[in-house]
Amino acid sequence: MNAGLLPPEAYVAALAGFRNMSVNRMGALLRHHTPEEAWAVACGVTPARGPIAQVLARSEVRAAWRRCTDERPPEQVWQHCSDLGVQVVLQGSHSYPGCLLHDPLPPPVLFVLGDLGLLAGRRIAVVGTRNATAGGRQAARDLGHGLGAAGVHVVSGLARGIDGCAHYGTLAAEGEGRPIGVVASGLDVVYPREHRDLWNAVADCGLLLTESPPGTPPEAFRFPLRNRIVAALSEAVLVVESRERGGSLLTAADAIERDIPVMAVPGPVGRRSSVGVNRLIQDGAIPITGPDDVLIHLSYQHGRSALVPADLRARPRGDDIPIYRELQREPRTIDGVALALGHGLVEVAMGLARLESAGWVAQADGWFECVGSPL
Amino acid sequence: MLAAVRSATVFGVEGRPVTVEVHVSTGLPAFQIVGLPDEACRESRDRVRAAVLSSGLRWPSCRVTVNLAPSSQRKGGSGLDLAIAIGFLAASEQVDLASLEGMGFVGELGLDGSLRSVSGVAPMVAAMCPAIDPGVVRPVVPVGSFREAQGVVGEGVRVARCLYEVVHALNGESPWPDPPDGELCDYEEPPPDLADVRGQPTARLALEVAAAGGHHLLLVGPPGSGKTMLAQRLGGLLPELSRATSLEATMVHSAAGVRLPAGGLVVRPPFRAPHHSSSMVSLVGGGSTSLRPGEISLAHGGVLFLDELGEFAPAVLDGLRQPLEEGVIRLARARASASLPARFLLIAATNPCPCGGGQPGSCECDDAARLRYLRRLSGPLLDRFDLRVGVARSAVDDLLATGGGEPTAVVAGRVAEARRRSVERIGMSTASIPPSLLDELAPLHPAARVRLREELEAERLTGRGYHRIRRVARTLADLARADELVLDEHVVMALQMRVRLSVTSRVRAA
Repeated sequence: MNAGLLPPEAYVAALAGFRNMSVNRMGALLRHHTPEEAWAVACGVTPARGPIAQVLARSEVRAAWRRCTDERPPEQVWQHCSDLGVQVVLQGSHSYPGCLLHDPLPPPVLFVLGDLGLLAGRRIAVVGTRNATAGGRQAARDLGHGLGAAGVHVVSGLARGIDGCAHYGTLAAEGEGRPIGVVASGLDVVYPREHRDLWNAVADCGLLLTESPPGTPPEAFRFPLRNRIVAALSEAVLVVESRERGGSLLTAADAIERDIPVMAVPGPVGRRSSVGVNRLIQDGAIPITGPDDVLIHLSYQHGRSALVPADLRARPRGDDIPIYRELQREPRTIDGVALALGHGLVEVAMGLARLESAGWVAQADGWFECVGSPL
Repeated sequence: MLAAVRSATVFGVEGRPVTVEVHVSTGLPAFQIVGLPDEACRESRDRVRAAVLSSGLRWPSCRVTVNLAPSSQRKGGSGLDLAIAIGFLAASEQVDLASLEGMGFVGELGLDGSLRSVSGVAPMVAAMCPAIDPGVVRPVVPVGSFREAQGVVGEGVRVARCLYEVVHALNGESPWPDPPDGELCDYEEPPPDLADVRGQPTARLALEVAAAGGHHLLLVGPPGSGKTMLAQRLGGLLPELSRATSLEATMVHSAAGVRLPAGGLVVRPPFRAPHHSSSMVSLVGGGSTSLRPGEISLAHGGVLFLDELGEFAPAVLDGLRQPLEEGVIRLARARASASLPARFLLIAATNPCPCGGGQPGSCECDDAARLRYLRRLSGPLLDRFDLRVGVARSAVDDLLATGGGEPTAVVAGRVAEARRRSVERIGMSTASIPPSLLDELAPLHPAARVRLREELEAERLTGRGYHRIRRVARTLADLARADELVLDEHVVMALQMRVRLSVTSRVRAA
């Protein structure tokens, strides 16, 4: 073993992928040992110091780590990281993000693609449910776009629904503000798969980071852990749409724990997709109705913003207006619109088709929703 | 002594003539059946012997050999009992041999000599009585099968309640018993009426279009939204079957042993709704000796309703593809093959996701579960539905409203009219217009053409979907009596009745 040639990061990268390894254990291991020693401890060559000695007193942990040292030699993990162009940042190194240093649960190691310098800028987390409504998606896109255009970086989790939409909006703004993605799996394990393009775009134009080494699958327990990093990296956490329970509320709780302000976009009362955000507002979160509200909170000079993109959609006209109004109240099926307005089916269908081709209305599973920003 | 008696068996939905030869000779007493009988057929030895003795006839101690010709074909079922008994009685000189000329026998015997109905009487009788020369062969059938046999061959059907009556009639000791009363005594349950459906204007229109143009229909909606109720009302909208289809459907029902309507012929379009746990064989048909027709053949000429489409086994759903494409299902077995008719209108219902869904954002399923659920439906099968309609729970006001919607009779009138137009135009249903003839038979108004171009360019419509939309629009125009051009409004309505399931659009929706 030509161990002498490997940097300390290689050992930590390998240890991070161990079974029975946790953020706490990893932190304890590195507090009491150098990375090389930590590796030797895991191999069973050197006796452990500190709380890890108790952990290793349990035979199943000892055995699991021993097996993992064979399965994940540091040379191989290190090679994998270099092949992917992944930067490995240890807690305590110069490039380690300052905002994570004093975190209650700082990640001992970060795997990074893209520009870590972005963390010096202003950062807002935009998160929300994966089962988003068309209106919620549109709101997330608008917020991502507005913040990106104003030079604020958007932190999010690259999940389906709100997370993805926020970053799509930021990328589309092509402004100073960039997407910062925090993911739960390894940087080479794209999840969800349909976000492959987004994933690559975030790595290219912004910053993509995780605490899991390359090859780590998107296991369920990693997502709540990922959320704490999303919160810790941001100046404020903005929840766009959330149900009564969900990952984005965990992110908000993480933010509260860290004294980071929480913001929420209010939604219609009684709609399931808004229960979580409305409750956050009741509990004192800052209500947000558009990118400007966030910017004011960040003490940005905004004035009459030229950054808001012009809405080029043709305005609804004539008979389409009542149909649009009806849909603004809540999503409806074509039957629902026809019955509410007392119009004929064909008439309503024609109106909906006009609204849809103009981009005011979106349809899925037979339901029509407004995508004219409710903000 | 030797006697030969005409009878038949069923294979698939076709009858196959069988000659039952009975030889009675001196020798050690024995009773043997040869000619590839199956288990039910071989057991007829015991039934026949008991029936003959119970009827007060003699069973002399002699050697009896029965041959079922042609002897290379497998024969199944108990329908040959009567023919074997009559053959034995003729060979043992208890029945006049000459009286068997021009007669054919079908029926199962009870141990007391009673004559019982069997499944497949219609195709068996059809096989015994050549269509070119009706009246040459007079079939003798159990009383219960009279209507069925009469529906197929018309006049000349003899009935009997027991073996004794047959023997007496053959020997000229008494006349043939009268067939059951000419009046249709059975009360037919009328199909459920569309007037019971409250609200749901789109789904109602979709039913009308499906019936008028022969378009397959998929209903997507949460539990309790009335998908099943709607589907059950589709049969009532269809016109009565043509004579040819009616005969085919009767053959299928008879061969499968499904109770026929009192008139003997299947005249109303059948409605079949197999449960989603149904096996492949029960749906497409099969079985070792007789290849019993399955549910999709039973739906021939009518409606096949698959509730909870996503819960059917994927292999079963794939089995639907050939019949949907060709209107027949060809089953091949090592010894024989059969083609069963299966031209049906497919109507299916599914939830949008395992939890049932509802308003956008109210679904409780995680993405993986949703995808898994809808993936079963996606692809080739989903493409074959011209109409995909979302059904939402009716509003409370609709449910409580007193006046129902249009009754079935009114809608069925429009359907018949639209069907007439479509048949006048091309001689087939609109759903089967080939793409090459669409421009000629369903010319588009310029505005409609622009609309479809936009949809294609926005990638909301695929090439295959494009043709289907045009056919549905043609049917809508027929229903609206717009004879020549297909207008924009028809295309728009057709597009609205092809709901985009979120599984097909989810990638782009991000």
